Amino acid sequence: MTTSGSAQPNAPTDAQKKVDAYLSTLRQRLRGLNDQNAREIVEELRSHIIEKSAADGQTTVAAVDAALAGLGDPEELASQYTTDNLLSQAELSRSPFRILKSLFRWASLSIAGFFVLLGSFLGYLFGAVLMLVAALKLIHPHTAGLWILPSSSGDFELSFRLGFGSVPDGRDLLGWWIVPIGWIAGGALVMLTTYIAVWFARQYRKSLVLPKS
Amino acid sequence: MRQTDAADKWEVQLRKGCLELAILASLWDGKLYGLEILRRLESDSDLIVSEGTVYPLLSRLKALRLVQSEWVESDAGHPRKYYALTPAGRQRAREMAGMWSRFSHSMTRLLAPIVKGK
Repeated sequence: MTTSGSAQPNAPTDAQKKVDAYLSTLRQRLRGLNDQNAREIVEELRSHIIEKSAADGQTTVAAVDAALAGLGDPEELASQYTTDNLLSQAELSRSPFRILKSLFRWASLSIAGFFVLLGSFLGYLFGAVLMLVAALKLIHPHTAGLWILPSSSGDFELSFRLGFGSVPDGRDLLGWWIVPIGWIAGGALVMLTTYIAVWFARQYRKSLVLPKS
Repeated sequence: MRQTDAADKWEVQLRKGCLELAILASLWDGKLYGLEILRRLESDSDLIVSEGTVYPLLSRLKALRLVQSEWVESDAGHPRKYYALTPAGRQRAREMAGMWSRFSHSMTRLLAPIVKGK
């Protein structure tokens, strides 16, 4: 008995190819999540697509298309997973390192994430500098601190100095006050940065939940 | 026209706000997999939700340890990921349900004249 040339039992059908293409785009966009997590997400959605598209009996290309349309754009779906991940991370731990790590993932997916990452990075950096100056004041009492220095253009400029090197030609503005002020202001800035980053992620996530009508 | 748009938008916000509670509630009687949760939400609550929203939310509830998951082989030939409430999830669902019924009770009382006088 002969079969027609098109009926190779192991060749992927058009419907399967569509599912594979969708899931591989998704997998790529989930790159930032940990490997096992991303794999589970892909397998869960594969299972969903198979069952959903087989619900009306035969798995046809049209049924697969409908199932994929229900899940939406794979890139948008991936960014829902990554921002959700960021939010749950933030709910479990407020550590700046965890938040920055999650923000890196988000930034790789969307321009909004990129700007939030940039802002948070600057916020954490400035907060860290404040705390560092406060700590180094104890080691370099005569040179570390917030200094007001004459600039070349005749104006003055403010400068946070870690205190390495010679005594600068200017005035130490805060003296020992830099120790409590640096710790408190630096710590507050780090906390504020975290709150703002989480707030943005939440707003972004909310904007994606709207069902498409 | 404008007014209807604003009302529609409000309705969408309202549905979104309920989604987390709706998912936890769907798991109250036992474990379900993603598609079953979606079907339960559609049939029991006419919450119209996009599938692309429920799966990431399930993953978040899991990260928050409100639900746990396990893979189960099925007769259909592909494994299914089942979700079940953790003790913390049950607790959260109970709290949210309590808040919900207090809130809806007082809203219903407040809205009674509007509803009656239509």
